Amino acid sequence: MLEFDQVSKSYPGGFVALDRVSFKLEKGEMAFLTGHSGAGKSTLLKLISLIERPSVGRVLINDVDLSRIRRNHIPYVRRDVGIIFQNHRLLMNHTVFDNVALPLVIEGFSGKDMVKRVHAALDKVGLLDKARCLPQTLSGGEQQRVGIARAVVNKPPLLLADEPTGNLDPDLSKDIMRVFEAFNQVGVSVLVATHDLGLVARMKYRTLTLRQGKMINDGLLQYQEDPL
Amino acid sequence: MSILFSGRVGSGAAERKIGLSRRFVMFWVNHVRQALFSLGELWRTPSASILTIGVLGVSLTLPATLHLMVKNVQQVSDSFTQAAEISLFIKDGSSEAQISSLQKILQADNDIARVTYISKQQALDEFAQVSGFGPALTYLNENPLPDVLLVLPKNTGADSARQLLNRLSKERIVEFGKLDIDWLARLDAIISLLRQSVLVIAVLLLGAVLLIIGNTIRLSIMNKKDEIEVMKLVGATDAFIQRPFLYSGIWYGVFGGLLAFLIVEAMLWWLQGAIVSVTSLYDGEFSLMALSLMEFISLMVLAMLLGLSGSYLSVRRHITAIEPTGP
Repeated sequence: MLEFDQVSKSYPGGFVALDRVSFKLEKGEMAFLTGHSGAGKSTLLKLISLIERPSVGRVLINDVDLSRIRRNHIPYVRRDVGIIFQNHRLLMNHTVFDNVALPLVIEGFSGKDMVKRVHAALDKVGLLDKARCLPQTLSGGEQQRVGIARAVVNKPPLLLADEPTGNLDPDLSKDIMRVFEAFNQVGVSVLVATHDLGLVARMKYRTLTLRQGKMINDGLLQYQEDPL
Repeated sequence: MSILFSGRVGSGAAERKIGLSRRFVMFWVNHVRQALFSLGELWRTPSASILTIGVLGVSLTLPATLHLMVKNVQQVSDSFTQAAEISLFIKDGSSEAQISSLQKILQADNDIARVTYISKQQALDEFAQVSGFGPALTYLNENPLPDVLLVLPKNTGADSARQLLNRLSKERIVEFGKLDIDWLARLDAIISLLRQSVLVIAVLLLGAVLLIIGNTIRLSIMNKKDEIEVMKLVGATDAFIQRPFLYSGIWYGVFGGLLAFLIVEAMLWWLQGAIVSVTSLYDGEFSLMALSLMEFISLMVLAMLLGLSGSYLSVRRHITAIEPTGP
């Protein structure tokens, strides 16, 4: 599903954000991506969502090399990858329904079909009753779940999350992770970047750990203390 | 359309089985919906929209007014082109018989529409009456004025009138002929100069309209920078993001054009009285011409096109420049 092949990314000025990173995420697999801030987690996600291009190496999704994607095709790639943002990036002056419907509107859905899908997505994150609310009136956890509903509304095969529990308390974090697990169980590949190591250790999923741009661990995180 | 996953289920409405006719209808429905949405956007920021529309209206009013001015001046000058009349001054000492035979010959001429004879006595009487020198003229020993034949050519064009003049000047009893057509040429030249300068001013003002709309759209793009980034992140194409801004540009054009039309109409209504009192002093038959339906439509189309192209220029530059910086 997702493959990094000896990927390096360096920025002008010589800063190396990723250094020869290789890994493979299978179809229907769920994994965590951990590391301190500045370790390269965000850069890795940016390479997948084509916000940045790698300096060296190849990023492949479903065996398609992303370096072959031309600029005007980038939007179509992003439709296949659901992204959940740390600061959820909702449109604050639009209702929850409009926010979740955005990816569908972009793809040209309309009418009953669109309403059905939006309601299904909101139902999965437990916010069906808040469809007509503005995001400002929701709590932090609810806003994050709206972000998740938006990411999954067009049923992407690959789901990326960048610090989805960044500013939530442990109980809410667990709820959010449950939602990701539920999507994983219906065959969606999920990659969650987080520095909440306690949560990661409890969840018992494959964990990729980055330190200073290098992949230092790929497997189960067995212990609860900081491996870095 | 999915590039990465061929045959991905349920991706993209266009890939599902929708009839061609339904898709055609949906295309227009979507455009109308987006046009109305953009109209709503203008409505939501009334003060900024009204300012922009006001500036556009005034900028479009000036070319429209100048155009009307040229049109009305031209209407006045058109009534003069019929005045290509040739005056034939008869040699002193020609007999009445000679003159009346020449008059008959000219009346039979195919190129000539009408011949009028004014004898020296008639001319003197008329002069005494009009000039107010009546008593003074009685002191003249003899009438200094010549007999005149006024010839109106059938073809009142400048060139053919001039040819006729040359031919008639060769008649034996004709002293010389005069065709007062130079002032007409001068008037035409002045009008064409006026029209050229109107064109230049109009082009400048329309350029200003383009820049104003471009700048307004640029500001609203900057205001929505975050929104545009989010849309790009969830897979919106540039074309999709551009569309509402292009519609805003068109709406600006529509309202600016309408405002310009209203200003011009108000101005005409205001000036009507003043112009009537001026023309009545010159006992001319002059009625002020307003914008015709065709001119109104072209004003609106021009304004819309300016709105569209102004916003297009702005959108091209700025929307591609906004790239999301990170998830």
